[in-house]
Amino acid sequence: MSHEALKFDKIAGPLIEKAKQDGAETMWDRDVAMKSRCGFGDKGICCKICNMGPCRLSPVEGKGAQRGICGATADTIVARNFARMVAAGSSAHSDHARSLLHTLHMTSPDGDYQIKDEAKLLSLAKEYEVETEGRDIYDIAHEVAEIGLMEFGKPFGTQRFIKRATEGRQKLWKELGVEPRAIDREVVSIMHSTHIGCASDMESIYALTVKSALSNGWGGSMIGTDVSDIIFGTPTARQSEANLGCLEENMVNILVHGHEPGLSEMIVFASQDPEIVQLAKDNGAEGINLVGMCCTGNEVLMKHGVRLAGTFYQQELAVITGALEAVVVDVQCIFPALATLSECYHTKFIATSPKAKMEGARYIEFDEERALEIAKEIVTEAILNYKNRDRNKVLIPQEKNKSTVGFSINTIVGGLDKVVNSNVDQLGTVKPLADCIMAGVLRGAAGVVGCNNPKVAHDNSHLTIIKEMIKNDVIVVVTGCAAQAAAKAGLLQYEAKELAGRGLKEVCERVGIPPVLHMGSCVDNTRILRLVTEVAKYLGVDTPVLPVVGAAPEWMSEKAVSIGTYFVSSGVDVFLGTVPPVTGSARFTDYLTNGLEDVYGAKFTVNEDPVQLAQAMLDRIEEKRTRLGI
Amino acid sequence: MNLFKVIYTGANQAVELAGQLVQKAIDEKGKDASVSFPNTAYSLPVIYAATGQKITTLAELEGAVGVAKSLINETTHLQDALTAGLGTAVASEIIEALKYVLDDEPYKAPIQGHLSDAQVRSLGVPLVTGDIPGVPVIIGECKDSATAAKIVREYQEKGLLTFLVGKVIDQCLEEGVKMGFDLRVVPLGYDLTAVIHAVSVAIRASLIFGAVAPGDLQAHKEYTKNRVKAFVNVFGDINEILVSAGAAAIELGFPCVLDVPVPEVPTLLLYQPDHEKTVATSLEAREIKIKVTKIDVPVGVASAFEGERIRKGD
Ligand code: SF4
Ligand code: SF4
Repeated sequence: MSHEALKFDKIAGPLIEKAKQDGAETMWDRDVAMKSRCGFGDKGICCKICNMGPCRLSPVEGKGAQRGICGATADTIVARNFARMVAAGSSAHSDHARSLLHTLHMTSPDGDYQIKDEAKLLSLAKEYEVETEGRDIYDIAHEVAEIGLMEFGKPFGTQRFIKRATEGRQKLWKELGVEPRAIDREVVSIMHSTHIGCASDMESIYALTVKSALSNGWGGSMIGTDVSDIIFGTPTARQSEANLGCLEENMVNILVHGHEPGLSEMIVFASQDPEIVQLAKDNGAEGINLVGMCCTGNEVLMKHGVRLAGTFYQQELAVITGALEAVVVDVQCIFPALATLSECYHTKFIATSPKAKMEGARYIEFDEERALEIAKEIVTEAILNYKNRDRNKVLIPQEKNKSTVGFSINTIVGGLDKVVNSNVDQLGTVKPLADCIMAGVLRGAAGVVGCNNPKVAHDNSHLTIIKEMIKNDVIVVVTGCAAQAAAKAGLLQYEAKELAGRGLKEVCERVGIPPVLHMGSCVDNTRILRLVTEVAKYLGVDTPVLPVVGAAPEWMSEKAVSIGTYFVSSGVDVFLGTVPPVTGSARFTDYLTNGLEDVYGAKFTVNEDPVQLAQAMLDRIEEKRTRLGI
Repeated sequence: MNLFKVIYTGANQAVELAGQLVQKAIDEKGKDASVSFPNTAYSLPVIYAATGQKITTLAELEGAVGVAKSLINETTHLQDALTAGLGTAVASEIIEALKYVLDDEPYKAPIQGHLSDAQVRSLGVPLVTGDIPGVPVIIGECKDSATAAKIVREYQEKGLLTFLVGKVIDQCLEEGVKMGFDLRVVPLGYDLTAVIHAVSVAIRASLIFGAVAPGDLQAHKEYTKNRVKAFVNVFGDINEILVSAGAAAIELGFPCVLDVPVPEVPTLLLYQPDHEKTVATSLEAREIKIKVTKIDVPVGVASAFEGERIRKGD
């Protein structure tokens, strides 16, 4: 399985070969060492939440252990495990947002962090009912931050942003009793109810799961996106490049990897500081080459056009090039393996977050109070490491592609304005997009998101699905590592319209956009949520009515499970390209893939074959069109 | 409304009708009866441009029905829907050609029907220089004659070359709109199929001025889209055939503005119920900027009046 990557990827092959020579271990080696994965865990029917266990149930109904010691059935155990995945995913995204709110709280006119998008702050202030008249913008910011922080632990009430949803969704969530309350509380709720001897009813456990997922999508992540835009600026369309070919032979290469933009933004500024650039030159380099990976990569790509080194699965390959002076990380999706891997090269593996201290890493704690100073310290350390690069051990693959990025909702609506006839319509709405979908010029829209996973050929599922969508006149929006896969493959360029069907191509040409729009990092999936909601509101319908689908073709993280769950709960069908650990319960599996439709109007579909998954997505889109009579 | 379904239905109806009429003509005149439009070297220009084939007899015209049919491939892709629209265009040309087979003079003045090559050639320079800034094709029946005349006169004053199809012709006549090829208001005919004579002008512009090879349909589409600043105004009710003809217009790069609700497509298919804004909407959709500033005199001043002879009585 793992070696399918070698067939598909022009970069992985040579670098994995090089790793062998360098005596470096990679994910592929560990994948082989793992042999076959545990069938019980794979099906979600092992439980170790108490010390009477661990228990594992027989995957065959009526044969072997059908219940755990406490009597928990496969349905209960699978649902509990799934719920805990969602809780973990929600907590990761939400803690990320919490940090951003703290940063917002410390913004000041002459500090390292300032307000870049005042309009967005003011509109959030209005939503939060914060007085803005005649007030200093920073006072407003600090009050907004406090209210935002209360969203995590307020004792009463529900998430404020659920008011942003369609009326249909709000009503449904209320009826079902799944309106998300305080973000942290929903995580705690799950941890409580999945303790031994609490909830055993599968559907009620799933309802708790939904609450936590919604507190992420319509809470933590949505706050994260908004606040990041307020502090660092709302993304606008810009050009960049992607893939390991963005590493430079004669420059200090610094990779920012992880998630939170507070750190990476400062590294961007530090690496542009004239004195620091001079230092790099004094140390024999032509300059500093900052590149990104995973969602931190997406953040600085969207906001500054910083080039992308690659996706999640390329993190080790980036080190193996031997050309990285430093890998600077904060939290989430960072292989602990990078520590030992870096030791095979001169690369400094620098951890910065107390939330993610990494064994074997150089630790420079990032303190927002001294943000720029610390960022400069980190960059300086990378520069001083340049002389240690072993030129005989350098192999930079000459692969990279151009891309256009920065498609926030503002960018998209701004683009749509270009096709508005001033005698017919208003500017600044999603009407042109809604029109194209209703007329059938665009059959629908697909969000393709998520990670890489060695269980499937890397990037292959992303690209197969994206290409299949655009060929069939389905416009694609991307985030996370799926977006990066598209960037590397050149699908984020205007020229990629040639791969699109006539309808989408016509839209691309008239609006001046690529057929695949990069909407940002994983928390920025909330941009997709909001775009879909805007279209639904414009048409006066609820989200499940729309021919819109979401896919996580190569998902692996718990965050992805939370994302998938909040999309389905928000009425968008989700298509998974790797199988979640639920198949040990036929009932729970059926609930996810069928039952949910009766409740939320959307459901999960799972298929590891990307061609079949793409077809299922297209079929679903047409099914929804037929139901709508369009 | 499922727009594509409407287009496919209309295209099928048009092709079906063309097939029946060809059969009827063959019954009447025999397979060898000759087929041609007057004063053109391009046979049936749309079919010739699309396929490179010149149709000379009813037997060959029967074959062209098959060509039209082959353009209809019912999928969910815009490209196929637009191509089906071209099926309607081909069917329309077949039906219009039959009129000339069955009648020596199917159109009588002031109705134009088919335009001669000489007329098309005379448009070459003014189209390129922008002296004719655009070509509106108006189809249908306006809510009242005065509105129809007002819109047509506005185009005329701006120097555009307006083609009229359907009852709008009578509405304009009623209001005393001066018509004629030289006056840049050309009534083509009352049947919807007569719209093909406007398409024929665009296509022959591509053959003559663009020197695009017959049979290179893609290149013809590009020429008409980029060089022939035509657009369509539809007044009044629409039916499937009309919508499928609209798809053909869009495939040639000509936006359509209607005064009845349709599923809109930005820049291509627009619903504009306010007739006061029909002209502005259309010009913006086709990205036409009028070079001549409008002079405030009691009579229209624009090059559309250059060909007008002042007769003694006026
Ligand atoms: S909770 Fe129940 S099933 Fe899980 S380990 Fe304890 S006894 Fe076993
Ligand atoms: S897409 Fe997945 S792998 Fe990539 S950054 Fe997000 S959670 Fe991590």
